[in-house]
Amino acid sequence: MFMARSEYDRGINTFSPEGRLFQVEYSLEAIKLGSTAIGVATSEGVILGVEKRVTSTLLETSSVEKIVEIDRHIGCAMSGLQADARSMVEHARVESQSHAFNYAEPLRVESATQAICDLALRFGEGADGEETVMSRPFGVALLIAGYDEDGPQLYHAEPSGTFYRYDAKAIGSGSEGAQAELQNEYHKSLTIEDAETLVLKTLKQVMEEKLDSKNVQLASVTKGKGFRIYTDEEMAVVVERLPAN
Amino acid sequence: MAGFDFTNYNRNAALHARGVPLPKATSTGTTIVGCIFDGGVVIAADTRATSGPIVADKNCEKLHYIAPQIWCAGAGTAADTEFTTAIISSNLELHALSTGRKPRVVTCMTMLKQHLFRYQGHIGAYLVVAGVDPTGVHLFTVHAHGSTDKLPYVTMGSGSLAAMSVFESQWKPNLGRDDAVKLCSDAILSGIFNDLGSGSNVDVAVITADKTELKRGFVRPNERSAKLKSYAFPKGTTAVLNEKIISKNDIGRYVSVTEVSVGEEAMEIDA
Amino acid sequence: MAAMFSQNPVMNGPNYSFSDAPRTANGEFREHRFNPYSDNGGSTLAIAGADFTIVAGDTRSTSGYSINSRYTPKVFKIGGTTSSQDDATILLSVVGFAADGEALRDRLDAICKIYRYRHGKPMSVTACAKRLSTILYQKRFFPYYVHAILGGLDEEGKGAVFSYDPVGSYEREQCRAGGAAASLITPFLDNQVNFKNQYVPGSGTGHDLKEREVVPLVRRDAEILVKDAFDGAVERHIEVGDGLQMMTITKDGIEEVLLPLKRD
Repeated sequence: MFMARSEYDRGINTFSPEGRLFQVEYSLEAIKLGSTAIGVATSEGVILGVEKRVTSTLLETSSVEKIVEIDRHIGCAMSGLQADARSMVEHARVESQSHAFNYAEPLRVESATQAICDLALRFGEGADGEETVMSRPFGVALLIAGYDEDGPQLYHAEPSGTFYRYDAKAIGSGSEGAQAELQNEYHKSLTIEDAETLVLKTLKQVMEEKLDSKNVQLASVTKGKGFRIYTDEEMAVVVERLPAN
Repeated sequence: MAGFDFTNYNRNAALHARGVPLPKATSTGTTIVGCIFDGGVVIAADTRATSGPIVADKNCEKLHYIAPQIWCAGAGTAADTEFTTAIISSNLELHALSTGRKPRVVTCMTMLKQHLFRYQGHIGAYLVVAGVDPTGVHLFTVHAHGSTDKLPYVTMGSGSLAAMSVFESQWKPNLGRDDAVKLCSDAILSGIFNDLGSGSNVDVAVITADKTELKRGFVRPNERSAKLKSYAFPKGTTAVLNEKIISKNDIGRYVSVTEVSVGEEAMEIDA
Repeated sequence: MAAMFSQNPVMNGPNYSFSDAPRTANGEFREHRFNPYSDNGGSTLAIAGADFTIVAGDTRSTSGYSINSRYTPKVFKIGGTTSSQDDATILLSVVGFAADGEALRDRLDAICKIYRYRHGKPMSVTACAKRLSTILYQKRFFPYYVHAILGGLDEEGKGAVFSYDPVGSYEREQCRAGGAAASLITPFLDNQVNFKNQYVPGSGTGHDLKEREVVPLVRRDAEILVKDAFDGAVERHIEVGDGLQMMTITKDGIEEVLLPLKRD
């Protein structure tokens, strides 16, 4: 990948002669430095899980927010530059509220994902008269989980502005190993509880720290309860359930 | 006794200045026309009376009697056309009695314009005056402010332009009686269909030296379509909250009661 | 110096001794105003049934005592995918100022089409109803001068009628009449659709009488009421007439009929 490195990685929106946008590709690399985040979709709902990377014993772990609510029926997990995710999430929240205001119905999960991706390429110089909002691409990827009339759904959105729907997806530093694990373990008849276990089990395998109920976080999106971040007590229950080794 | 009563003028002016709206007069939004022919004159009118955008009367009479051989078609404020023509009719009758001659159309026209001019347009009567007298066949228009015209064919009212377009495209000198009737009728129909202030039927009056023929409902192109279902309610549908019966015998002690047969002007009701 | 004797008082030039600003009879400055609205008359009517909705309107367009057109539709299909609107499932009727009505129809239709692209599904009538409300309220201080009525089938397949004031207040109803003859048609509808002032004969005396039970109309009966309502309105309102455009939405789509009305 770095063979053809040249001056073409300076211009923020200049193609290289091989047809590549280096800055966008580099932003994908930034995500690989991020903490691992996993999403698993089942027929009952979607589970999101993240590792918190507690770098100091003095760190207040509850201040690490890597899973956030977009609307009552949509939530997302992030990996990469968290600050960038703030503006994406903010945009999605506005879009979702605006839709509910204008149409008296919830925004679809795919539409929310599209809204986030619409922001992704608004960097560089911009066209004449058009307002430029960012100097560089986002350095964060999102796992967007939600529930709408089409049931529970999981989307993966990248800084390149593309998005795909997944049954199960891992992003961040441990994503390669985690994705392989998900590939093996996933099946259509997974229950919510199976998914909780699968997410934590997979995280456990790829995390450098030893997994406990403080350095991981889970959230779910279901028809009945919408988006919900697990409480410490609920986390403890799931962690307890994990097979010991 | 004679003339108008102005006792409430100051009170009404004060009320109006404080925002009380004027009462709405029934206006005969109207198309009226007239046309002379060899040996007589035809006048015609539609039969719609309006109050704002509402049809107040679907079959009103706008052809007013002045004298046996003098008739008026009236447009404008219904009350003004009715009273003005009635007053002038009375005065013209008195004039005919005292002179011992048949009344003349010019006399009628002059009395109308003098009456209307005195009231500076506040009497909203716009009239087509037509008749035959010993001096010949005459046709005039009289406007509310008192101006008059003498022409071979005339139109007035909100449908006057629609009606005039028929005259201007079809009128020719030395019309026969039937042609004149047809032309006037077509002019009114143009008003009925193209002017919202005019509608329903065509009334026609043909005045010749020996007689006047009033053709009420000469054309009836706007008959009401039949309702698609009956709206008759089963007896007892309306709640009766209290009931008191006064017999004909009892009320007969205070007023005289006479049986009246239902005439042909009976109100339109569902079976 | 441009002119030795400027007409401009600021430049101390000679001027008239009176102000040339136009004033009213009572001495106030006279404002020149442009009225951007007009009234094109006509009437509309919508009735919701158990599994259908009828939206109707006369086709006359007026200004003052004149007829602009004997066929100007007031009922429009909204949110189809083609220019013919064959696959539309929502109807909008607008009465009042025709130019605003058509602008509103175009705007709502464009929004429905964009919605379909963005969200990959047709807009539901309830969503469309809310969106129409926000469109109208966005012009709170320069309103679309129309009485809009939206009709369709809801998510359960039941007939739905939504009616609006010009600035977006809206409500779901069984039936609604709009426009010039609304005040003539509404009491007829109250009595014949919602059975107001009708009691069950012999069910009691005075206030104890039972009200006639309200049941949804069957389609044919509703269509008869629409025709009779307009025939009645035509008799007594000068701005209503010429043609009756009647559209009926069912699960199978939209059917349109054009019936003649009196033309006087």
